[in-house]
Parts: sequence; C-alpha cells; structure tokens
Amino acid sequence: MPRWAWSLVIPATAVLVLAFVLPLSLLFASSFFAEGSFTWASYTDFLSSSASRRAYFRTVRIATLVTLAAIALGYPAAYAISRITMRWRVVLIALVILPLMTNPVARTFSWLVILGREGLINNLLTALGAQSVRLLYTEGAMIVGLLHLFIPLMMLPLISAFENIPQDVVPAAQSLGASQAQIFVRVLIPLTIEGLTIGATLVFTGCVTAYVTPAILGGSRRLMLSTLLHQRASTMLDWSGATVVAVVMFATTLVAITIIRRVFGVFRSPLGLS
Amino acid sequence: MKEARFPRVMLVVLMVFLLAPFLIILIASFGDNASLRFPPQGFTLQWFRDALDQRMFVRGFYLSVQVAVVSTLLALLLGVPLAYATSRYNFTGKRLIQVVATLPVIVPELVLGLALLRYLIVATNLPLRPSLILGHTTLLIPYTVRITLASLSNLPYDIEQAAISLGATRLETFFKVVLPNIRDGVLTSFVLAFILSFNNVPVSLFLTGIGVATLPIQMLLYMEYNFDPSIAALSTLLILFSTLVVFITERLLGISRAFK
Repeated sequence: MPRWAWSLVIPATAVLVLAFVLPLSLLFASSFFAEGSFTWASYTDFLSSSASRRAYFRTVRIATLVTLAAIALGYPAAYAISRITMRWRVVLIALVILPLMTNPVARTFSWLVILGREGLINNLLTALGAQSVRLLYTEGAMIVGLLHLFIPLMMLPLISAFENIPQDVVPAAQSLGASQAQIFVRVLIPLTIEGLTIGATLVFTGCVTAYVTPAILGGSRRLMLSTLLHQRASTMLDWSGATVVAVVMFATTLVAITIIRRVFGVFRSPLGLS
Repeated sequence: MKEARFPRVMLVVLMVFLLAPFLIILIASFGDNASLRFPPQGFTLQWFRDALDQRMFVRGFYLSVQVAVVSTLLALLLGVPLAYATSRYNFTGKRLIQVVATLPVIVPELVLGLALLRYLIVATNLPLRPSLILGHTTLLIPYTVRITLASLSNLPYDIEQAAISLGATRLETFFKVVLPNIRDGVLTSFVLAFILSFNNVPVSLFLTGIGVATLPIQMLLYMEYNFDPSIAALSTLLILFSTLVVFITERLLGISRAFK
C-alpha cells in the first residue's frame, strides 16, 4: 500500500481505539482489580447476590422465549412475503423495517396503552363483565414488548433467505414424491438455515441487551441484566457492581452466539436429520 | 393450494401485531383524558401542544438532532476512507482493523455507554456533548464502513486505474469517479446512521447530565413521573417522522437492501 493511503486508515482507527477499545479494555480489566490487586471478589459478589441471579435467569429465559416465538411467527410470515408479487413485497418489507427505524421509547410506550390498568385489554375485559387483570410489570409484558421490538430482525434475514431459494425447488421435491413434512425439514430448513441463524442470533442478543423495554414494561422489581446494570450504576453508584453485570451481559451474548451456531448447524446439511 | 394458506395467515397476524400498536398510540394521542386510557374519550389536540411546549422535549430534540448530524458526518468522514483503503489495498494489520471496525456492533451498547462514562467523562472530565458525539460516532462507523464496502465491491478497480492513466490525480479520481458511483451507498448509510443515532438509548443513557439529555432519554425521564397522553402525542410525531423517512428513502435508495 502506498504511504499516503495510511492517512485513510489512521483517523478511524485512532477514534475506535480511543473511544472504544481503550475504555472497554479498562472496564473489563477493572472488574478483576480492587485496590490495586487481582481479585475475583466482584464476580463472587455477583454470584452470591440473589437479585443478580434472578436477573440473569430472567434475562436468559425471556430471551429464549422471545427467540422461539419470533421463529414461530416470523418463519411462515417471511415465507409468505417471499412468495408474493414484487410490488407488494416492497411495501411489506418497508412496513417491517418501519418499526426498526422508530424511536424505541415511542414503540414501547404503545404497550402501556394496550396493557395498562385502563388500557385496551383491561377496558375490553371490564366491558365484557370480567375482572381486570394486572398485565403491566410482568414477564409476559416484557416478552410481548421485546417480541414486537425484535421480530423485524428475524424477518429480514429470513426474507432474503427465502428469496434466494429458486422458485422450482419445492415443486421439484413434490414431483419426486416428498411429503409436506419432508419438504419442510429437508429442503426449506437447510436452505434457510443461514438466515434463521442470523435472525435467532440478532433477536437473542437483542433481548439480552435491550434496556428500554424492560425499563418501561418490567418496572423496578422485575429486573433484567440491562436494568440491573443501570440501577447499579445510576441509582446506587456502585461502579464495580455495574461493571460485573456489563461483563456478564457481554459474555452471555458471546456464549449465545456460539450455542445458536452449534444448535442450528445440526440442520445445515439436508441429511442432518436422517 | 392448501399448504399456502397457513403462511399467509401468519403474515396477516404478524403485520397486525407489528402495526396495531402504532395505530393505537395514534388514536390515544387525540384522547380528551387527563391520564392515558384506551379507548379514549373525546377529541383534542391539546396533547400535541403540550408535547411541543415541554422545554425538556424541545431541548432534547435539538440535542438529538445535533448529535445525530455531527456523529453521522464524522462516521462517514472516518468510515468511507477506511472502507476505501481496505477494499483497494493490502496492508499489515488490515484484518485487525477490519475486526475492530465491526466490534461496536457486537459489544452491547449499554456496556459501551458505561465504559465511556467511567473512562471518558469521569476519568478525563470530557464534557457531555463531545462524549455523546464520540460514543455515537464509534457506534455508527461499522455501518458506514459496511455499506460503503458493499457499494465499492460493485465498482471495478479498472475504472479508477483508467482515470489515473489518463492523468487524473488520486483525489480527482476519488471525487469524480469513485464517489459518484458509490453515492447511493453513502446516502443510505447517512440516513441509517442518522436514525440509529437519533433513536439511540443505551449509549446516551449514561451520557446524560442536568439539562443535557437526548430526546429518547428525556422521554424516559418524563415517563417516570407522568402518565399523560403528551408522550403519546410526541410518539405519534416521531412515528410519522420515521414513516416519512422510510418511505422516502425506500423510494429513492431502496433502503431495505441495507438490512440484508
């Protein structure tokens, strides 16, 4: 490379190192040190706190459920989008993208209007003569809110995966005598597994790290890792406590990425299940 | 065909689930009740007036726009040259730099926010505004780099070499040959980066002080103590804004490609 071209590379690299690599490395390192010496103390503190453990398991549980729900809802819908005419497909894809481009506070706020004490569902229930129920500040509310937030991230990779399948693959399998179930497991799934893996990874890691939805729909008592982190840092000014939560959160996303790759890799080959 | 029914039903279910909340918030923002309820009673535009009169919202909006414009321009100014160099040249450390430039997508934004608060603001006393801009810029660089790389990969290097062999300088070649050809990619990343910054919560959350908070953070703060339809009115305005952006950019640039 000619020497002048380094001036294209160095500014961006410098900013990334100064405002990203360095602060994060310091943050990570700081979680292992207290008063100048190495210690696991902040991690054992995390493990021994029942509030932290509850937040951790709640986060993993909710992220898993949302990912499964996003697949169940998004997979057939993405298939349907890929089979309609180009004109309509463009409109529908724009409508799927729209929520991604919308202020997340505004999006989550709409669930307060639906699930609140005087919201749509409870007013409907009382109009029908039933008791009103508490929907807000529950795990169910967080699951619905996160599903709404992240289902476009499942849809978009799946839509492009389905678009890449040649139109005559399914008829070919049918003419060779494959049943619906066989076509699904041995043709469609292997051909879309890459999109499914990307979608599941985005949704799961999104749920683990999302802040707005658990903050608004979970309240201060049903904490996820993100809201626990914020509470430690902003309300309790407990830097080392917040930092451990941050490291645990990042580690959880990395482990999840690996596990999702492994699990979905099973379906990669068309003969994988035979 | 029987098998084609089920996916279409699921598509309808999904679109209703995805879009109904937007419709509900739209309706709720016109309701004539002091506290938020649905279905609302009466009709009023008062909540829109209230939302636009709130000083914290107005100031949050200006700060958000300012941070979004500056960080987007910075991310383009830093990201486009980086993408160009990595697509046209081989150099030592190229792989490493490519990895570093994509990392901000992988690291949770909340974690970055905390790191910036501890080691930029608290440790070096950098004021909030530049910290916000710096934080958002690092977040946006991966997007500007990736979209620019994608456009550059469709542009054969031969064309540039032809321009140079005909006597154009490097700079002329870039501005007269390369840039016009990757214009759509650059515009797409501008729109996308602006929106990502404008809507960002996790990084901005920690980079907030008295009187300095971006619009989404101001909304979160307001909601802690108030439950009136002015937030619904503000949300309606923001939803209309993003609808406009999505449809205009989809028309002009086909922004949906950027998500695939």
